[in-house]
Amino acid sequence: MAIKTYDAIVIGSGMSGGWAAKELTEKGMETLVLEAGRSIVPEVDYVEHVPTWEVKFRGLRDRKALMRDQPVQIEIGDEWNAKFFVNDHEEPYTTPPDQPYLYLRGRHVGGRSIMWGRQSYRWSDLDFEANLKEGIGVDWPIRYKDIEPWYDYVEDFIGVSGQSEGLPQLPDGKFLPPMEMNCAELVMKDIIAKTYGGKRVMTIGRTAILTQPHRGRAACHYCGPCARGCITRSYFSSVNSTLPAAQATGKLTLRPFSIVHSLIFDSQTRKVKGIRVIDAQSRETLEFHGRIVFLCASTLESARILLNSATPEFPDGLANSNGQVGRNLMDHLCQVGASGTLAGNEDKMQIGNRPNGIYVPRFRNVTEKHPGFLRGYGFQGGGSRPGWERGFSMQGFGADFKHELRRPGPWKFSFGGFGECLPHPENHAEIDKGRVDAWGVPTLRISCKWRDNELAICKDMVMTAAEMLEAAGAKDIVLQDNPSPPGVGIHEMGSARMGHDPKTSVLNAHNQAHDVKNLFITDGSCMVSSACQNPSLTYMALTARACDYAVGLTKRGEL
Amino acid sequence: MERREVLKLLASAAALPALSSPAFSLFRGIHAQIAEMPGLKTLNPHQNATVTTIAELIIPRTNTPGAKAVKVNEFIDLILSEWYDKEDTARFLSGLNGVDERSLDLFGNKFIDCASDQQNQILKQLDEEAVNDLVKYSVPTGTKLDDIANPPSFFQMMKKLTLIGYYTSEAGFEEELHRTIIPAGHAGCAPIPEELAN
Repeated sequence: MAIKTYDAIVIGSGMSGGWAAKELTEKGMETLVLEAGRSIVPEVDYVEHVPTWEVKFRGLRDRKALMRDQPVQIEIGDEWNAKFFVNDHEEPYTTPPDQPYLYLRGRHVGGRSIMWGRQSYRWSDLDFEANLKEGIGVDWPIRYKDIEPWYDYVEDFIGVSGQSEGLPQLPDGKFLPPMEMNCAELVMKDIIAKTYGGKRVMTIGRTAILTQPHRGRAACHYCGPCARGCITRSYFSSVNSTLPAAQATGKLTLRPFSIVHSLIFDSQTRKVKGIRVIDAQSRETLEFHGRIVFLCASTLESARILLNSATPEFPDGLANSNGQVGRNLMDHLCQVGASGTLAGNEDKMQIGNRPNGIYVPRFRNVTEKHPGFLRGYGFQGGGSRPGWERGFSMQGFGADFKHELRRPGPWKFSFGGFGECLPHPENHAEIDKGRVDAWGVPTLRISCKWRDNELAICKDMVMTAAEMLEAAGAKDIVLQDNPSPPGVGIHEMGSARMGHDPKTSVLNAHNQAHDVKNLFITDGSCMVSSACQNPSLTYMALTARACDYAVGLTKRGEL
Repeated sequence: MERREVLKLLASAAALPALSSPAFSLFRGIHAQIAEMPGLKTLNPHQNATVTTIAELIIPRTNTPGAKAVKVNEFIDLILSEWYDKEDTARFLSGLNGVDERSLDLFGNKFIDCASDQQNQILKQLDEEAVNDLVKYSVPTGTKLDDIANPPSFFQMMKKLTLIGYYTSEAGFEEELHRTIIPAGHAGCAPIPEELAN
């Protein structure tokens, strides 16, 4: 029997794969989505309303199971959603001993869009022009005007709540009403405005969470733990939003448990003709054929698939004639900042669990050049009042102690920086010769470390965070100055960058591989620089834009 | 979204078939089994009685249930059996034994047989020593159990486990803290509700 040829095959069903599925099917393409992991059934898998007393270790997590099965993933998640993260023995990778890299991820329909942080920021020309102006890496082949309509398009579909601020470095979007700041945040916002006269600004986080009903999805009800799922579909994930839209076209075939081993290159047409898949359950090797391929497996997985797809024409991996695949790996520098205690508003508190914080957009190297480093960083964070946990270190016991712990503790405020990472060719992933995962697919060796510019940013982040806290009169300021290793930002990007020149980049301005015309890569691998904003919104906009381009080429017979 | 609308939505079979159907009851069922598991795995009857007594002294019954009513002792046994490393469990049990040594020394009785003012006196000593240790080692105050630079003392472990066991219980969460899984809504800066202020 002849193998069916799909109009399009999408590899991955997460943030970008879900968008590719929606766009391609809505444009009439018969589309197969290959997902390496299992299906997600929201009514069964989402656990955000399961109370603490119904989980075995009351939220302390199954520590011994984690140390045994998820020694890397233990860095993230909680007792409820550990099931959304991979087993590290089934899906291993290595690093040089002196370059720890934490590769945090899940394998299931929806990918990390189920557990993501939901912060959604536009990039600006400050970001798109930086590489060219500073002579770093290669130039972005697009500018803000190229992506702006696609930001509009994506935001309109997913729903992003936020406040317009009119800042050139952080363009406003099509926002749903913003979430409210809490008491400490209102104080801090004021202090920042007074102290820095507009040079620093604090706004409520821009988040892909609905503050009013939107396109058939319900508004947020403030239960809090989004990363465990959302039965009211109030935050954006591909399972909650793009995949149902793709499904509704009748053109989608979603195949879970489909581990992509490699792409099959046809040396006569010089195009990808199909995908070699290992069925995760039967372990059978299968082949699927498609006219165009969208590789949306995530930054590191997409690089891994290309590197595992070597052919006589591309001995170093498909679409890798220039050796750039896997290079220029970036992540955001994070877990650096400061926190302190803010007096006042003792008789007030926040009601409900707002799944969002505040944002201080980048203020370094925006109007004045900083002597110590290139680029900059933004702060996330916010105000909160500690609850009963503060009793661990408080003196006392008995009825008065219990009574005291019923009231919330003093207001705290914390700033956590997200710093830009420069592309560096030596920050890279390569195939780890001789090592394979549980399905026999060769695995990655990831070599990545913070370099001088990132470390200089890190120092400045701590200082400016502490400065703002001091300006607000905060007490007991605690500094966090030891950045987490790369990977922890879970914003990895850059492993198949876009660019003008096929000699120095993997993809063109429309995410199309220079070397292989029917191959498009629209996940984080395509990024040319990292900016300091959370990148998912940009992946989504680039995906929608690339789908429009690819379908246009197809319809005009140019592929 | 208003809380009552969410509750309505969650209860509506049309919107969410599986939540009101066998999948959900199965889930409840699994957890009911966990809760009903009989017997303690680590604590012997005397240790259990001592742990139960100390926990109730830390978080006593007031106008809401205390540590004993929500079975903090069973939670502590679970942590000692399946969560702590062996050395930590051993240190906890040895510290627990030390409570009896102290009470025998001071009052001639094992801790659970002491009068309540005697028990309070011992607990006060233990609590002061634990807090002094915290200051001495400038311990962070996170929620992880293993965030203490110096191995935590028996009473630091005991107090922490009691608070976690109590406030993550249904009664601790709902009756004592007046919290609900689906909150009333969101307000960024509202007066502290009366039931928490008093």
